[in-house]
Amino acid sequence: MFGKISDALRSLFRKDNLERDMNQELRFHVEMETRRNIERGMTPAEARFHALRDFGGVEKFKEECRDVRGGRLIESLLQDARYGARILLRNPGFTLVAVLTLALGIGANTAIFSVIYGVLMRPLPYKEGNQLVIVHQQAPLAHVNDTFFSVKEVMDYREQSQTLDAVVEHHTMSFTLLGGSEPQRVQTGVVSANFFDVLGVTPVLGRTFLPNDDDKGSDAVLVLSYKYWKESHGGDPNIVGRVFQMNNSPHTVIGVLPPIPQYPVEEDIYMPTSHCPTRASEQFMANRNARMMSVFGRLKPGVPVAQAQADLSVIASNLAKQYPDSYPANRGYAAVVAPLQEELTRRARPTLLVLLGTSGLVLLIACANVANLTLARLMRREREMAIRSALGAGRGRLVRQLLTESTMVSLAGGALGLLLAAGGLRLLVTFAARFTTRSEEIRIDGLVLLFTVLVSVVTGLVFGLVPVFSSDRNLNNSLKEGGGRTSASVSRQRTRNLLTVAQVAVSFMLLIGAGLMLRSLIKLQSVSPGFDPEKVLAMRVSPNWSKYNTTDQTRLMLQRLLDKVRSEPGVQSAALSSTYPLNQLGIVNGPFNRGFQIEGHPIPEGELAPQADFRSASPGYFETIRLPLVKGRTFEDIDNEKAPPVAVINQSTARHRWNDEDPIGRKVSFDSGKTWTTVVGIVGDVKQYGLDREPSDEIYIPLAQSGFANNLLVRTQADPMNIASLMREAVYQVDPETAIDRVQTLDHVREDAVASPRLTAILLAMFAALALVITAAGIAGVMALSVSQRTHELGVRLALGASPSRVLGMVMRQGMYYVLAGLSIGVAGALLLGRLMSALLFSVEPSDPITFLAVSAVLVAVAAVACFVPALRVTSIDPMLALRSE
Amino acid sequence: MAKQTDLLQGTLDMLILKTLALGPMHGWGISQRIQQVSQDVLVINQGSLYPALYRLEQQALIKSEWDKSDNNRQAKYYELTRKGRKQLTEETESWERLSAAVDRILQTT
Repeated sequence: MFGKISDALRSLFRKDNLERDMNQELRFHVEMETRRNIERGMTPAEARFHALRDFGGVEKFKEECRDVRGGRLIESLLQDARYGARILLRNPGFTLVAVLTLALGIGANTAIFSVIYGVLMRPLPYKEGNQLVIVHQQAPLAHVNDTFFSVKEVMDYREQSQTLDAVVEHHTMSFTLLGGSEPQRVQTGVVSANFFDVLGVTPVLGRTFLPNDDDKGSDAVLVLSYKYWKESHGGDPNIVGRVFQMNNSPHTVIGVLPPIPQYPVEEDIYMPTSHCPTRASEQFMANRNARMMSVFGRLKPGVPVAQAQADLSVIASNLAKQYPDSYPANRGYAAVVAPLQEELTRRARPTLLVLLGTSGLVLLIACANVANLTLARLMRREREMAIRSALGAGRGRLVRQLLTESTMVSLAGGALGLLLAAGGLRLLVTFAARFTTRSEEIRIDGLVLLFTVLVSVVTGLVFGLVPVFSSDRNLNNSLKEGGGRTSASVSRQRTRNLLTVAQVAVSFMLLIGAGLMLRSLIKLQSVSPGFDPEKVLAMRVSPNWSKYNTTDQTRLMLQRLLDKVRSEPGVQSAALSSTYPLNQLGIVNGPFNRGFQIEGHPIPEGELAPQADFRSASPGYFETIRLPLVKGRTFEDIDNEKAPPVAVINQSTARHRWNDEDPIGRKVSFDSGKTWTTVVGIVGDVKQYGLDREPSDEIYIPLAQSGFANNLLVRTQADPMNIASLMREAVYQVDPETAIDRVQTLDHVREDAVASPRLTAILLAMFAALALVITAAGIAGVMALSVSQRTHELGVRLALGASPSRVLGMVMRQGMYYVLAGLSIGVAGALLLGRLMSALLFSVEPSDPITFLAVSAVLVAVAAVACFVPALRVTSIDPMLALRSE
Repeated sequence: MAKQTDLLQGTLDMLILKTLALGPMHGWGISQRIQQVSQDVLVINQGSLYPALYRLEQQALIKSEWDKSDNNRQAKYYELTRKGRKQLTEETESWERLSAAVDRILQTT
């Protein structure tokens, strides 16, 4: 078989050579024959004549020889292509419209596919990434799905696991890096020394950690992430070996990572566990309940995840038995393992799949349009086809010609679509970055190109075949004139109408999808966050904590900071707190729960203590963000470390824990009854974790009594960002080694909270609008064609006395009939498929009647216009002319 | 000339292979040889010969080479390949079986 193909290719490329060979061989034969004839006694002329005659028709069997040679197929395909190109260029209108329509459809699919491939399908850029897993601890009875690990727990799992090759830990800290141009807050990943070995990551500069880098007492070393290295150190090639001060000791940079996605968060730098002050403290390492780390592992070769799961569950139950105090039975305890690739993509999956479905539908609509256009054009080529058929072209050959043309159109559309997708790629990457750290892996590469080509070819075949299947070739009728009334064209009309119905139905479904998303977005944006984000500046301040050895020193410094800031001009009020509502960090890291005990309500045996989010706030916090006070009072300066402990709770907590009783004056304890804190106030609920999430129970205690807070909030009179640099200066004046980052207005934070659904809604709306435009164009085209084909019939009606408006009405009614048919199918389809979208919707039902009504109205209106404009031609039909024409 | 018989394609292939088994030859020579040996019973139609040669070459049963002929012209010489030799043996066997069978039938009265 390969011989045949190579021969065919050779024939193609060395055609001239082979032709020459063949000619020479045949010439030789004729000469020999001539010579023999001369020997037999003929004259040279006679001899040659006889020789040639005996030979037979030279061309005919040259053809046969060529046929045997093969290479015919490719030649005739090229011939088809050349012919098709001529035809397409002669009809620029059709070609342009078809190519553009397909470009939009195929381009959309290419774009979405590149995102899906990069995020969902591409194997992780780690060595044998499918063997990497992440381990979670759970307290299922307390509804805790993901608890960190303590040092002892990591060691237990590492030592006892039989299915995991390596177990590594990871946690994120925020440290201040000194030695650059200004003190810099760096997000630091603190990891086991073999972390990068387990991931199989090779550095682009220097090295990663060696096994003894996390031994106690080893030298402090750092590995930089690629992005951080590029952005904060300008990609300095000599960065390896530089020393920075961190946590009061020198740290040497030993390497830079390649640009890979990082999980769970993008870090700036990495350090070994031995040099994280918290992690390395004896106290922390000895406490089984001091939990801070995430755990990753690599499966042993050939071990399925299910086996690892069983293995870890055994370890978990053993630990629970061994240390019942750490794993109280009333909370439950389990260990869960999941492939890393799944974790990285979980959040993005539903949205991306919805988008894929959407773009697929858009392509179908585009195909239907182009099929309609092709059908219309085909009518004019009937005579050409009939003649070719009469001259001996088989049906297969004619079909091949049509398919070649349609594939050429779709490939051209695909190429243009690829350009469009490449142009919109940035937008898509930004979009995906909200859901996954893999967004950087989205690119247009070989596989995406292949996908585009494949989709283009299939599209071309699909809409090329539609006309073929929609009519039967009746040669006689085609050759006769007046072909507009043959049975072939009637069935073509039926196909066109069916396509229109399908287009309307699909457009409707897309519009519903977009409409639901938009309504969902509007509802989300109008949710009251519970506070007033206008004109408030937030920034994270991180002094060099190692300078302040006691809580007192910290407290003093923070107070000085507040005083300084409050004295600045333009500041209406200022406060410090451990977090603020809708803080993105809070959303990523999750709630900071603490159990507490209510005086007079001892926790029964086996039951869970009441949980609440724990916050610390300076006086002025609630006023600065305008969190309303419902009852009692907020914090004041007298609530300092020497005063009795007080707390403020939110309405949610009051409702859940005290029902109708008044919580003011009641006491709670955070340390099982050793000390008691009095509730002095109730404030309103805020949407802490997202506008679409319910508020959680919250308890605030004064900064002076907790000793720690690192978010500065400032309410200003003018635009908050204007005074940002002023605030920076003020902070530096208090302590120049303070790192300041995450500077943003609370308005921006609130906008951020709806950014994802907004982007999704925008994308869906764009697709739906596209679909509507394409469908409208399709309807208009079909209507125009139908009117021009029925000129004769309509002329008769007009001649017989019907008024133009009546005829117009009839034509429009007939057109709208199909639109309404499509609408009904679309409604049914949307009701069925709407459920697939419910994960993305906020407080909107997939069968929301308002959306359905609105979309129906829009669709009918647009379709009516699309029908009306071409139908208007009916009124300008001159009956006399129409009767005379065919 | 004796009565000329039409040849089936498969048989022509076999005859070409057999002729080449005796030594490399160009197209014209093959047709002459077959005609001679069959004593003019079989006259090869040029229209069948060359297509057959090209087909056999494509099937890798024969291979070709340009060379000088005895009258100093360039001619394309064909030669049997090992695969072709094997094919020839097989074809000869099945031909003999076929013709023996036909003979037997024709001889029964």
